[in-house]
Amino acid sequence: MLQIDKIQENDHTILILSGEVDASNSVDLDNALQAIMEPNKKILLDGSKLQYISSAGLGVFMSYLEEFEAQTIKFVIFGLNQKVYNVFHILGLDQLITIQTTKEKALQEFYEA
Amino acid sequence: MLKILNLNIGRIALLLAIVTWLALLFVDLVRLFGVINQMDTGFSPEITWILQTLFFIMVFLFFHNDIKKNEGISFLDLIWKGVSTGLFAAGITVLVRFFYFLLGNSRLSTDPLLQNFFYHVNFGLSTIFLISVTLIWRQLILYQKDKNVVQQWQAFEIIMLVSMFFVFFNQTTFNYSFIFGLFFIYIFGIILSVNLKWIPYLTFKEKWKSILYLVLILLATGFLFFHTVTQTEQATVVVSLTENLFLLGLFGFVFIYALFSFLVTLFNLPTSSVFEQKLTEAINFQKLSQSIQPGQSENEVLDILMDSCMSAAYVDAAWLELSPLGENPTVIHQRFISEEDRAEVEEQLKNAKPFKDFLIKVEPKPFEHLSGKINHPFYKSALIIPLRVNKEVLGHIYLLKEVKDGFNKEMINIISTFVGQASISVENHRLLSEAIKNERYKEELEIAQRVQRSLLPSVLHKNECFDIAGLSEAADEVGGDYYETFQFTQDRFAIIIGDVSGKGTSAAFNMSQMKGVFHTLVQQDLSPSTFLSQANGALGRCLEKNHFITTTYYVLDTSTKSIIYSRAGHCPTLYYSALQNTCAYLKVDGLGLGILRNSQYSKFIKEKTIQYQPGDIMLMYTDGIVEAKNGEGEEFGFENLQEVLKQNYTLSPENLVKKIMEKVYEFIGTDTMPDDDYSLLIVKFLK
Repeated sequence: MLQIDKIQENDHTILILSGEVDASNSVDLDNALQAIMEPNKKILLDGSKLQYISSAGLGVFMSYLEEFEAQTIKFVIFGLNQKVYNVFHILGLDQLITIQTTKEKALQEFYEA
Repeated sequence: MLKILNLNIGRIALLLAIVTWLALLFVDLVRLFGVINQMDTGFSPEITWILQTLFFIMVFLFFHNDIKKNEGISFLDLIWKGVSTGLFAAGITVLVRFFYFLLGNSRLSTDPLLQNFFYHVNFGLSTIFLISVTLIWRQLILYQKDKNVVQQWQAFEIIMLVSMFFVFFNQTTFNYSFIFGLFFIYIFGIILSVNLKWIPYLTFKEKWKSILYLVLILLATGFLFFHTVTQTEQATVVVSLTENLFLLGLFGFVFIYALFSFLVTLFNLPTSSVFEQKLTEAINFQKLSQSIQPGQSENEVLDILMDSCMSAAYVDAAWLELSPLGENPTVIHQRFISEEDRAEVEEQLKNAKPFKDFLIKVEPKPFEHLSGKINHPFYKSALIIPLRVNKEVLGHIYLLKEVKDGFNKEMINIISTFVGQASISVENHRLLSEAIKNERYKEELEIAQRVQRSLLPSVLHKNECFDIAGLSEAADEVGGDYYETFQFTQDRFAIIIGDVSGKGTSAAFNMSQMKGVFHTLVQQDLSPSTFLSQANGALGRCLEKNHFITTTYYVLDTSTKSIIYSRAGHCPTLYYSALQNTCAYLKVDGLGLGILRNSQYSKFIKEKTIQYQPGDIMLMYTDGIVEAKNGEGEEFGFENLQEVLKQNYTLSPENLVKKIMEKVYEFIGTDTMPDDDYSLLIVKFLK
């Protein structure tokens, strides 16, 4: 089960993921990212309610890395629980995606960098 | 064996019948000779009666046996047998009468011996005719028999048997007891004669034929009876053979049943076509309901359907237009109508209400069918029924009649039933084809499984310094986990474990690519970090955009007791140190293969070296193990794995693999199905 919510704040968009990302719903995540990429240069992903992410879910983030860079989109994930963070970490994705512990720290990435 | 016996009974009965008849003739002639010459021949009438009864029984046995051999022949053929016997018997009798006519008033014409001879011939022929026809009637009466009828018939047979012996007790003909017996037999015959279930199954033509046959039997019976009666009066008969309760009873029974059959068949003639129609409908329905046999096509079912619909409503012209979604309509099974006429009528239907609306309207249709009148020089009424398969309209059946209001409710009901049944048949056929196709896919998948199994090494390289064991189980038929070893020299080995993102077939394909990359690069004896960078370069070109592979590559040197490794995003290796008796995950930074598909990748790959001690264990695994979930959604986890290794470090790699799998399965419980591939590769250092 995966629920994706979208909140627009100032000039950044927050994508809130709740539940689990697996092979069956990674397409939804892909579509959601695709949809908000166009008008936004600053994307925040709230992963605090994310319980689990499978390799298919990681593959979705991975597939956007190049595009984020090409379009100079800033993408920050925050609030991951230890287990989910560990999945990012083991794969090495934390070296390519900015992952912050809290929303405040994530916002600092946008506005203080 | 039984057959031979049956044949013999028939032959023996025939032989005995002839012998008894000859004996009867001889006895009677001798007695007559005695009477004429006033001599006592010493033959009592009982001898005649015994011979007569024996003759009856033998003839009965012969025909009883004969009719058994002919089981399954049609009613008409059966009756024809009776007719032919009757015609033969009557024919001979006519010839005898003609012979006497020719003799005129000569001496020979009054010769009692000759008269007696012909009397015996007539008796024998009548008996043969009556018994054979009685047995034929038996077949007809017992058609679609129930217990009651069988019992009635058995009772009748017993009565007839008793009537054979009647003569022993009562010699006076036509006294009260004789007439009572005769009356009784006739009443019983009438009761039996209501069993005429065979008649409705005759076609119209067959009914006419059977009427003819029955008339012939009635005539033959009447003529033989008449002849018998007149002859008995004329001839000098010492012991009467024909004034016998059995024989006269049979005359009555044969006549009564023939008469009943004749009348009922006659009265059935007008309704015969309706019965035939219903029977055809039932047969058609059965044909339609039988699922399509292998080798048959939907077309054949539709063919039967069209025939059934046409005959059910006496339709003058019909066709079936198939219009699958998104395809041009095609007309098939066009019947009794030219292409131009069909196009003309169809054009008219498509432009005139109410057919227009009905045809244009896509699901759900307001009615199941539509009938109405049309303006056409020949055709006055039309019926359109949609043919559905899987709730989709496959096409429309068009039925035309030359009369107005040609389709009544009953016809439409029957046609709807036919159409429904045909739809089910076609649907079943499609489901079956699909099932066969799926079966084929399954077979293909099994082949893929076998091929993939062969991609995993059956033997792992090792030397005397370490032992190694591995295992891989796929959640689906095929999986994406991979491990392999390679031996450079006596002391140096390469070990790799990998996990392709996703699972099932796509993962399996990527896994085989991974194997190819491994075997290409391993030959070059690269350092682990270079190996992974080059593997990333190779795989980055062939992996899909959102797919990646995690792997750890080890170079093991037993001469220096060192392990150099690099990790490409794969689960950290669990390492048991015998010296410290601790279990820890080996930490090193890395990045999954295919995540970064440019030269930047190598910057993220680090290399580490560790020294091993005898007794140390290196446990390599895929994420399926640590992420294995139980019914409550909890994961097996890194800690559990650590714990299992810590408690079982004494085991050999092979047993350790078994132990860990056992613990994993114990954890997930029997109710949950594994949803990821599990792989384990364990190295235990011996010295």
